[in-house]
Amino acid sequence: MNRLMTSLRDGIGFDTLLIFAALAYLMAFAGLPLIYNIIISFQQVDMFSLGSLFHQAVGFENYAAVFHDPLAWRVLVNTVVFTLASVFFQFTIGFAFALFFNQKFPGATWFRGLFLAGWVMPGLVVGVLWNWLLSGDFGVINYVLLSLGLISEPIFWRSDVDYSLIAVILANIWYGMPFNMILLAVGLAAIPDDLYEAAELDGANAVQRFFTITLPMMRATIGAVLALGIIFTLQQFDLFAAITSGGPAGSSTVAQYWSWQLSFREFDFGRGAVISVIMIIVVLGVSAIYVRSTRAETRL
Amino acid sequence: MKKLTLAAFGASLFASTALADDVTLTMWTESSNAPEAVFATEFSEMDNGITIDVREVRFDDLVAETLRAFATQSNPDIIAIDNPDHAAFASRGAFLDLTPYVEQSDQIDMDNYFDGPRSSLTWDDGVFGIPRASNTIALYYNKDMFRAAGLNPDSPPATWDELYEAAKALTDPDNDVYGIAFSAKASEEGTFQFLPWAQMAGGSFDNINADGVSEALDLWKAFFDEGLTSPDTLTRGQWDSTGTFNGGNAAMAISGPWELGRMASDAQFDWGVTLLPVPEQGAPRASALGDFNLAVFANTENPDAAFSFLEYADSQAERVWPEFTRMPSRKDIELAPTGNEKIDAAAPVFVEQLQYARNRGPHPEWPRISKAIQDAFQSALTGQKGAQEALDDAQGQIDRILN
Amino acid sequence: MNDRARNIALFAVALVLAGIYLFPLYWMYVTSLKTNSSIFAVPPEFLPGTPQWQTYALIWDEANIPRYIFNSLFIATGVTLVTAVVGSGAAYVLARYRNLWIDVALFVILMLQVLPPSLMVTPIFVAFSSVGLLDYPRIATILAISAKTMPFFVILCRAAFMTIPRELEEAALVDGNSRAGALFMVVLPLARNGILVAAILIFMQGFGEYVYSTSLIADNRLQPASIGMTNFLQPNVVTWNAIMAFAATYVTPILALFVLLQRNIVSGLTSGALK
Repeated sequence: MNRLMTSLRDGIGFDTLLIFAALAYLMAFAGLPLIYNIIISFQQVDMFSLGSLFHQAVGFENYAAVFHDPLAWRVLVNTVVFTLASVFFQFTIGFAFALFFNQKFPGATWFRGLFLAGWVMPGLVVGVLWNWLLSGDFGVINYVLLSLGLISEPIFWRSDVDYSLIAVILANIWYGMPFNMILLAVGLAAIPDDLYEAAELDGANAVQRFFTITLPMMRATIGAVLALGIIFTLQQFDLFAAITSGGPAGSSTVAQYWSWQLSFREFDFGRGAVISVIMIIVVLGVSAIYVRSTRAETRL
Repeated sequence: MKKLTLAAFGASLFASTALADDVTLTMWTESSNAPEAVFATEFSEMDNGITIDVREVRFDDLVAETLRAFATQSNPDIIAIDNPDHAAFASRGAFLDLTPYVEQSDQIDMDNYFDGPRSSLTWDDGVFGIPRASNTIALYYNKDMFRAAGLNPDSPPATWDELYEAAKALTDPDNDVYGIAFSAKASEEGTFQFLPWAQMAGGSFDNINADGVSEALDLWKAFFDEGLTSPDTLTRGQWDSTGTFNGGNAAMAISGPWELGRMASDAQFDWGVTLLPVPEQGAPRASALGDFNLAVFANTENPDAAFSFLEYADSQAERVWPEFTRMPSRKDIELAPTGNEKIDAAAPVFVEQLQYARNRGPHPEWPRISKAIQDAFQSALTGQKGAQEALDDAQGQIDRILN
Repeated sequence: MNDRARNIALFAVALVLAGIYLFPLYWMYVTSLKTNSSIFAVPPEFLPGTPQWQTYALIWDEANIPRYIFNSLFIATGVTLVTAVVGSGAAYVLARYRNLWIDVALFVILMLQVLPPSLMVTPIFVAFSSVGLLDYPRIATILAISAKTMPFFVILCRAAFMTIPRELEEAALVDGNSRAGALFMVVLPLARNGILVAAILIFMQGFGEYVYSTSLIADNRLQPASIGMTNFLQPNVVTWNAIMAFAATYVTPILALFVLLQRNIVSGLTSGALK
């Protein structure tokens, strides 16, 4: 008994306790709902029997139905494009901004704070604002582009099947960029200045310093930012609902939005759950990559 | 004074249903400003021992929330529900069959209701609620723009050809004016707007590829292809589309009576309302039927108290027009003047249009049927399928749902 | 002098970037002052014709804003506390070791936040209802949101703990501290900036959360502002200017607070407790 107490306070038991508290919490509040989703993906779930765990089992019928849906291929491509484009631009722009505001000039940190406005605003409001900004007729974006002579005809961002996904990506880059910026800024701030000073004395220019010091030192942060960025992007929902509703004609539907549509617009919870399961598998992959990337981390 | 008469009225009519113990009921609705929410507050203040707690649930979440609550038996006693969603709950026994109550009621007479709203809440000959109000859509038009384009503002388009010609004549890209604004969004709103066109052409929700429906879709497509309507009509709801009409950027708009208040205060021009144009002179009319029904859940512990509230709500039906700019679902009620000349001029048009309003469904699987219809017009309007092909595909899906 | 020119140039660039980035925020404010039809005017009106200040009076009268904001603060504070208390320890352990079990734990934590709340809420609702948690709706909401924010917090804080030199903790142990003592006396104070940044981000997420709050809190009196705002979204009538006014009213104070706080935190970071 005494040894256990000592272990909890001072040994491996202490670590185990800390980590298991979090894991148990997550298993209860996030793990069980996930498992529920997996189970009902194999069942015929009626809209009035949501409360029970066991419904008529249908094997892989829901999976077959989803894969045979004419929309399936489109959704897959859209999801990949949406996720990669969003994460790529959020990250590169966020990194550029983090580097920019990392330079010491008056007001730098204050300005950086302003960029977090996007993070505070409720998803619904962000969605509606972008819906208007991207509107073909009265939208500010078209107005500016037309005034500058960059386009000669208004672009119907939301309603042109070739642009609708881009419209949501634009809004999502705006929404997610500050999150990337602040995390990368924190990572940048953790790099000791004397490393740069030493490199500068050795004659390294700014680009060399970036690739030999900044990037390697930020590995852990970058891994975390990218992994979280992908997962956040896969959760983006409000913007689709507010800007295009997945339309027109499904041209901007992505997996998470489709899953919700099937579950809560068509009340086909089984098929909705199938898409959840596919997303779980994708995130399994992303998580594995992230965990691998942490292997290369260096600790100060 | 009004309060007093209401209270006296309530006391006399509903005293018989007052129970010995005080009863608290819960009601879910989309807004605390909706008629039933206001009526519930009044009803709670009466000396009848019944209190109604109202919970506002955002319209988009209402069905999902209700399903979750019903699954765990934590549902309310009374709900205000959009009429196409009613059948799903009624057919599954979630709602209480009010037939015996209605038969004994001195207040509620099902024959007083318009056919559309009445059939939306009837399932297997059972009565599963009462309508709170009804709405429908008609054609708003900018009379000043009609005059400027050399059209007669006193003779708005009555047929599809006339509508098309008018839209063409009124479209003025140089001044950012589209001929017509409506909604072809991939949502229930889009179905609400498209279905009447299909019905006027001889189709119906279970016969969406009937001869003639493709002509309706072709007309919609012509609006898009010839630039007579904003391409954003595909992703914009009725309220935002009509907003462009109010701002002078569209010469005509298809929408419902809920627009009247905003239009009367915001539109800086002379406007009017007319019936939805028909395919050709003398063709049958159709229009959409909207708004909510009130229903009682079958698992309520206080069905008598809940029904007495429904009776009270029905007794106040005269007020839904002047106070809420919603149309009573009862044929026997005439719309009282609101005092606003424009709104009062529009009222008879909507009353007439409401007679032609047809249900969406009723069918328990309505959301899936609606989705098939949305897919049809969206894929045709974006040029991914021909009109007939899109409608045939939709019919195939609908057949699978119906059988 | 050269420095001064550089500073001015950088400041100017920052101003332009911020101006572009914050335009949607500006649009929220300006829309809240427009009439319901001039929102759709072509060309867009960059200034409201006649500012409709009465919209603010209307939402203040109609919506119980102080109550909604109180609930939002209550939920956001609860989420931040639960997340930080449960998450910090896990982040610390995950940063301390490097082995297969740690990999598995990290993996599980990340993976568990894959699905959007709109797809998680049904099972959570059913489960909470069956164990009676729905009788304490705000607590239930805090617990549900915390599960969503926890992985994010853990990953962030882990990165913060990674930057703390191992020797400092070991020195504390050598000095006779227990593990718990070293954690509280040495490691946590050193990582406080990272934890604080993460906590503030979590607070803001909790403040604007919508999906769980709307589902788990049936009583309008206990609902947060993100839901109060949607009462202006009705089936056919959407008073956008009121929604924007409501959003502006509840976002502005938190934004101002954040801009002030963020300055301290990140400047604290750059000066570095670690050097």
